[in-house]
Amino acid sequence: MHETELHDLSDDADYAASQRQGSVSMQRSDSAKTSSSAEPEGAELVYVKDNVTIHPSQFAAERIGGRLMLIKQGACLLLTWIPYKGQHSKLSEKDRNLYTIRGVSFSDVRSIRRHTPTLGWQYIIVVMSTGLAYPPLYFYSGGVKEFLATIKQHVFIVRSADDANIFLVNDFQNPLQRTLSSLELPRAVVANGLSASTSISDPHPAENQPIDDGSVSGEVASLSLYNGRPRPKVHDPARDLSIQVLEKFSLVTRFARETTSQLLRESLNNGYGANERRDHSPHYHDYSYKPSTDPEKAPVEVPVVPDPLEFDKLSMVWGKPRQSPLGSGEWATFLDSEGRVIDSKALKKRIFYGGVEHRLRREVWALLLGYHAFDSTYAEREYLRSMKKLEYETIKHQWQSISAEQAKRFTKFRERKGLIDKDVVSEVWRDFSSIVAALLVKFDVFLTFYPSSILKVRTDRSLSFYEGDDNPNVNLLRDILLTYSFYNFDLGYCQGMSDLLSPILYVMEDESESFWCFVALMERLGPNFNRDQNGMHSQLFALSKLVELLDLPLHNYFKQNDCLNYFFCFRWLLIQFKREFEYEKVMSLWEVFWTHHLSEHLHLYVCVSILKRYRKKIMGEQMDFDTLLKFINELSGLIDLNTILRDAEALCICAGENGAACIPPGTPPSLPIESSLLYPQQDDVL
Amino acid sequence: MATSGNKNINAKLVLLGDVGAGKSSLVLRFVKGQFVEFQESTIGAAFFSQTLAVNDATVKFEIWDTAGQERYHSLAPMYYRGAAAAIIVYDMTNLASFERAKKWVQELQAQGNPNMVMALAGNKADLLDARKVTAEEAQTYAQEHGLFFMETSAKTAANVNDIFYEIAKRLPRAQPAPNPSGMVLMDRPAERTAAASCCS
Repeated sequence: MHETELHDLSDDADYAASQRQGSVSMQRSDSAKTSSSAEPEGAELVYVKDNVTIHPSQFAAERIGGRLMLIKQGACLLLTWIPYKGQHSKLSEKDRNLYTIRGVSFSDVRSIRRHTPTLGWQYIIVVMSTGLAYPPLYFYSGGVKEFLATIKQHVFIVRSADDANIFLVNDFQNPLQRTLSSLELPRAVVANGLSASTSISDPHPAENQPIDDGSVSGEVASLSLYNGRPRPKVHDPARDLSIQVLEKFSLVTRFARETTSQLLRESLNNGYGANERRDHSPHYHDYSYKPSTDPEKAPVEVPVVPDPLEFDKLSMVWGKPRQSPLGSGEWATFLDSEGRVIDSKALKKRIFYGGVEHRLRREVWALLLGYHAFDSTYAEREYLRSMKKLEYETIKHQWQSISAEQAKRFTKFRERKGLIDKDVVSEVWRDFSSIVAALLVKFDVFLTFYPSSILKVRTDRSLSFYEGDDNPNVNLLRDILLTYSFYNFDLGYCQGMSDLLSPILYVMEDESESFWCFVALMERLGPNFNRDQNGMHSQLFALSKLVELLDLPLHNYFKQNDCLNYFFCFRWLLIQFKREFEYEKVMSLWEVFWTHHLSEHLHLYVCVSILKRYRKKIMGEQMDFDTLLKFINELSGLIDLNTILRDAEALCICAGENGAACIPPGTPPSLPIESSLLYPQQDDVL
Repeated sequence: MATSGNKNINAKLVLLGDVGAGKSSLVLRFVKGQFVEFQESTIGAAFFSQTLAVNDATVKFEIWDTAGQERYHSLAPMYYRGAAAAIIVYDMTNLASFERAKKWVQELQAQGNPNMVMALAGNKADLLDARKVTAEEAQTYAQEHGLFFMETSAKTAANVNDIFYEIAKRLPRAQPAPNPSGMVLMDRPAERTAAASCCS
């Protein structure tokens, strides 16, 4: 099959051209040596960049590293990307070579789209004049600017008037007229030998039956891939594959967006008849102002592009009402006589929709976090507890046995300890002060009069939990964090960890148990705290892609306002909304996240749903990045958790596989993919 | 916001300094007149604004308060880029924080806006008994490096307004071009920061 892929592609005009040109420039096997002697007469290498990588799928193990080159041959500039040989990859050499780009002439290139998220890898998408789009090329070592600058020296390129990140190549006629945005990409893909006419706007897709159940998410996604157009030739798996690949590559294509939202509109129209705006046009531009239904009654100054997903209706259709928390009686029904969870999937689903009563959390969290296995018995868990307690004591003893004299010569230890001490005290203070605030709320003191920064935590028990100067729990927090910094010395301690530990200790009420639950949580969230911030990069990147998928106008707004780095969501992601909700709500939210029901990345959909809730305010008031960051920071304590969870669920279902494809592999809280060296040693690790 | 007839200046100001030096406390004191004994650590960054009237102008400070931990260092360029002013804060009871402050000064002088008004703040001046950094030492350092120096206390409010006021006075009156509001990260020529900010 792989044989035919290459062959198959070669009958495509672009590939044929590239093959021809490839033969006069260089073959992939030359990737390591680029000396001019290896090149044909008159060819000059004008740009080389290593570590330019293609992501064929969401699996990091399948990424293909390679070398990008620009070659000048006479008046012709050629683009070449060649995968490295012999890399560790799940893909075979043949598979990898499928993606080779050989000597594509810039006279055939229509545009280059540049993506330079502040956090995350820069990448470009090269779009051919036929409409074919090459997969995004990720510049792991930077250098997009240099790349474009080099092109500029040799080829006429102009920046699109509509989108500063699109560079039009050879667009002599009317540089302003055409912008080659992702809008063309889907057709570009379709154009590759398929009938492009039966496309997106087909008003009678086969699958317009209503969707009324969360369980169909997979179906939604698979439908949307081929919604409204014929499937590729069945006998031609190679083409099929390449098209799928390209579809994946162009990430969130307009096509995907349209299909998703159209599918949704269809379902709303047909299933519920509630949608008055029956608009099947793929690019509808309805700029009419829609009265705000937001609780926020802020003055809206600018008409706001309506939400393409008809968001309010969407949540009514799909977001299920929250149930009451799982109680002891029901919990018992999930267990067999020896304490094994009979159906962990059902349990997770139950918790997803209702959470857990507080007194059950101790037992349930240990399972959700993966510290205990779902199929473990009471006895096994008890045994593990005792063994782990010993192990914890051993690790703890490592730092406890450091004498004052030794510590004098152990700067890193002193610094860590100092930092943890500071944070623990303020962590406890924050939680305590917010308990007080919560009590005030309890007595109907009007919530909005309190600065949001003190609105956290609740429950009478938690009031005393971290209270007082000599509170042993304060010391426990510190001891656990310090022990963790020895358990995972490479990662060490990082601000934000105390936020994550505090509710766990509050629930587990046991030092060793809290430690191991925290360890389990950090298995997933550790990359958030990496020095290179890669965990945060990938989450922020995924978030931007999800917003692009689920709310294009909002995405465009962020783009215009240089907000695409989504840095204003940094705190949300880093500590899983710990500072955005009251203590009790944080615990409810976390256990919902930890079920991984529907998605491991529900937290990203929570981000999207909050942004969507406030989209009118954000766009209407024309918030710039600063204002937005301030606004988001000050939302703390004001977000209604249940509404947001319902919205997030609806969005997650709606996005389906297209949503999942937005999220790079290994994005926290997914388990890291390469397990060899999780936290590369850095000199400056604190 | 501004009185008519006066010049209005928008000035982006960034606070940098070691963990626990008191950056957030200084801002909160200046912006809200509050002080919290156990200020929570800043995650990411926080943004505030406050307006000051100086003799001939109204200065609206757009203040970026950053996370102090070294781990988050790579994000700092996002904040100090295009800043008209910076306050580098250290804790005068903590020698290491003073050393860290010097590193920030170095970085700003190498990477930041060359016309940036820089202030060095020796915070926690109320904790005289625990002093580890002398005023003379800091003053000398500041002079040598073209900063102005004040010892501040967010707790007692000593010198807090003064340091912002002093910055306001020193801001160049004729602003060459208005600062790009917020972060113009993507499309600036002569890109240095894009490389510095991420993407290893």
